[in-house]
Amino acid sequence: MVDTTPPTGITAIIHGKLLTVTHGTLEDGTLLLQSGKILAVGPAASVKVPTGATIVDAHGLTVYPGLIASESTLGLSEIASDDVNNDLVETSEEIFPNMHVYDAFHAETEHIPIARFNGITNAIVAPIDTDTMPGQSMFIQLAGRDRDAMILTKDIALPMNFGANPKRKDKFPSTRMGEITQLRQALIDATEYMQNKDAAAKKSGAKDSKDKKSDPPKFDLKNEALIPYLKGQKPVIVTADEGHDIEVAYALAQEFHLKIVLAHVTHSQEILDKIAAWHVPVMFGPIYEFPHANERFDAVYTLPAELTKRGVKVTLLPGDSGGAGSAQSLRNLPYVAGMAVAYGMPYDDALKSITLYPAEIWGMADKLGSLDVGKTANIVIANGDPLDVRTDVKQVFIDGVSIPMETRQTRLRDEYMPKK
Amino acid sequence: MNRARIALCLISAAIPAAAQSLPDLVIKNATVMTASHGTITQGSVWVHNGKIAGVGATVNAPSSATVIDATGKFLTPGIIDPHSHSALGNDVNEATSPVTPSMMMIDAFDSTDKALYQALAGGVTTELLLHGSANMIGGQAVVIKNKFGLSREELLFPNAPRSIKFASGENPKRVYGSRNQLPSTRMGNFEIMRQSFEDAKVYKKEWDDYNAKLAKGDKDLVTPHRDLKLEALADVLNGKLYVQIHCYRADEFLTEEAIAKEYGYKIRAFHHALEMYKVGDKIAKDDTAIATFADWWGYKDEAWDAIPWNAVMSMRQGVRVALKSDSNDHIRRLNQEAGKMVHYGGATEDEAIAMVTLNPAWIIGVQDHTGSIDVGKDADLVIWNMDPLSTYARAEKVYIDGDLFFDNSFKGFGTPHFNGVMHDAESGGSHDGSDEGGN
Repeated sequence: MVDTTPPTGITAIIHGKLLTVTHGTLEDGTLLLQSGKILAVGPAASVKVPTGATIVDAHGLTVYPGLIASESTLGLSEIASDDVNNDLVETSEEIFPNMHVYDAFHAETEHIPIARFNGITNAIVAPIDTDTMPGQSMFIQLAGRDRDAMILTKDIALPMNFGANPKRKDKFPSTRMGEITQLRQALIDATEYMQNKDAAAKKSGAKDSKDKKSDPPKFDLKNEALIPYLKGQKPVIVTADEGHDIEVAYALAQEFHLKIVLAHVTHSQEILDKIAAWHVPVMFGPIYEFPHANERFDAVYTLPAELTKRGVKVTLLPGDSGGAGSAQSLRNLPYVAGMAVAYGMPYDDALKSITLYPAEIWGMADKLGSLDVGKTANIVIANGDPLDVRTDVKQVFIDGVSIPMETRQTRLRDEYMPKK
Repeated sequence: MNRARIALCLISAAIPAAAQSLPDLVIKNATVMTASHGTITQGSVWVHNGKIAGVGATVNAPSSATVIDATGKFLTPGIIDPHSHSALGNDVNEATSPVTPSMMMIDAFDSTDKALYQALAGGVTTELLLHGSANMIGGQAVVIKNKFGLSREELLFPNAPRSIKFASGENPKRVYGSRNQLPSTRMGNFEIMRQSFEDAKVYKKEWDDYNAKLAKGDKDLVTPHRDLKLEALADVLNGKLYVQIHCYRADEFLTEEAIAKEYGYKIRAFHHALEMYKVGDKIAKDDTAIATFADWWGYKDEAWDAIPWNAVMSMRQGVRVALKSDSNDHIRRLNQEAGKMVHYGGATEDEAIAMVTLNPAWIIGVQDHTGSIDVGKDADLVIWNMDPLSTYARAEKVYIDGDLFFDNSFKGFGTPHFNGVMHDAESGGSHDGSDEGGN
């Protein structure tokens, strides 16, 4: 484990090309880090480097905020084909808001250093989408002295999945009708539970203890788990691929006045204007989903650009056509953003889609997503454009701590590197 | 599907797809990445009769040639995928026996599979369509040129060498072990290989003796029984079939090479080969190439020691290295996978491009016809809007045998030869390790 207890001294990253995300690019910039935070950021001429600071010369290099993956299975799986180490989703039932991925999180997974190696410093960990309501996601930092230090927010959001994936064979729910009915019943049950609980709390002060109605309902983990979502305190992630599915799932979420983030939406071409009118953020991906038979080869590639054009705040998901967020492919997140640029997404939006926008969507924008004073010092130094596959990340800082750029893979590389 | 478009497609289908003689073509002012002799920063390529007739700073093309000014653009040979399962549906494994050398992938080939069109749009002009990895000896492959929209026969690569696919390691173990059949271990895997070639030796001798007697003019000979299975294996021993082996682990490369030497055949390439960096110097001596992933790993135990430096480290040890997709997704962006080689291991851009053009051509055995921009080779060419090793690159035009097969400026399907028939891809290498069709 990497201890990220912030150093007390000042670290100065000098002469780098700073991609601040919020206030443009500084060709020759200085970044000061102290106590795990960004102390100062600006052009070399205007930021004085204090004596005694640890100097990191980033001349010829690019400096940018740590990347944020909005979907991953980090710590829930090690070797994909090996079932005994997979804790991707509890499939014994579908309605499981009371499942918490932090209970399965293997903080020492080899996947975390490997994702970090390409500049990813934060991620959502979520159960996979084969239940309609598989449990709650958490928000992590990709370094820390132990599991607790790495988990920043335990139950940050509730995925709600709809469409082909949560269907069961020969079991309820085997259709989309079944899925929605199942979700609606769960939300009704939890609403009644919440109302009964509130009513009981109101009356508990009263002397009339014979009033049966003042008894709180029997404690129920599932219903309890849904209360913050019914109160709109946390977002529900409405996940579906197809436009028509998204409309149905969105309507259900609206019926219960839930706070909504849309996810996947890879085949939503026909409802792009509607999505824009809903004013909800979108977690788009994977961009490598295959187009349908009647679609051009680039039908999915161009959607981030189309959504951005309509003013939608997009965070791009890692992953390949096998699914979003697999632990193994997470390190390719920056290239997903590059692919969106190739097919029309403005560069600034693409960079924001994996830095500032996810920080905003996950309520972390005061801490993450840009090079601004006061934010957490999660910083990446690379030898070029972060979104280009040819770029090599040279150093990652988390909480202002210089992280060893070592992984299981670099150890193997160094062991077998032919002797000169 | 859009009704008006179907009508248009039908009309275009009535026009002869490949005109007998195409006018000469000159692509000028491009950055020409030849894959065989470096990059020409402002170069021209002349195409005559479907072949490359000139390449250099200038070319002596006739004035009647169609000229494309590719200023600011890049020109590469067509991308070649030496390991794909596209257009084979779910029929990639005859998983009823671990030894099925007589199975012909061509019998499952569907030239209207949409995956071919998606790959074409990514600049892919040639593919080796392989069996899955359920069987130790799977069967014989198909080589295609990605002339999407033409007839099935027109997609077959003329006179390409035949390849056979072997597999070892976890996949055959899992498929047969789960049925409590041989092989359920690596010992079982290799026992099957040895027994198969012992049988093939006997069969081959029987036919060799017969043919020798026949040549001597002996009469009243009894023609030996023809067994398709043993005939294919005898062709391996005769050197008539390229051996392509699905194989992950360092120890298995060495065992496979030892068995090949014992029975006197050559291994053309190890596919996947994710641990080649551990023993590359030994394998380089046998002139066996590898077709590997850029950075895929961790989907099963034998992919756990995979590192993204594998390709470049193996290359530095003298191994001929190609990148491959094994996936209907990755095949669409093999140029980016090549770009990763600059990132991991510091390959030069020329080395990286060769990994997805000339080196895979060698693995398939078509390196004299395609895979580089050299005079006399087939005009399989891709015009890119920028350096193809960048994430931002898009294929703009793809030519095969000098004929335009993909044009990004076209609306709809962007394929001049598209005839309106297209099937959704059924499967094709899901990388998840549970599907023996793929890795």
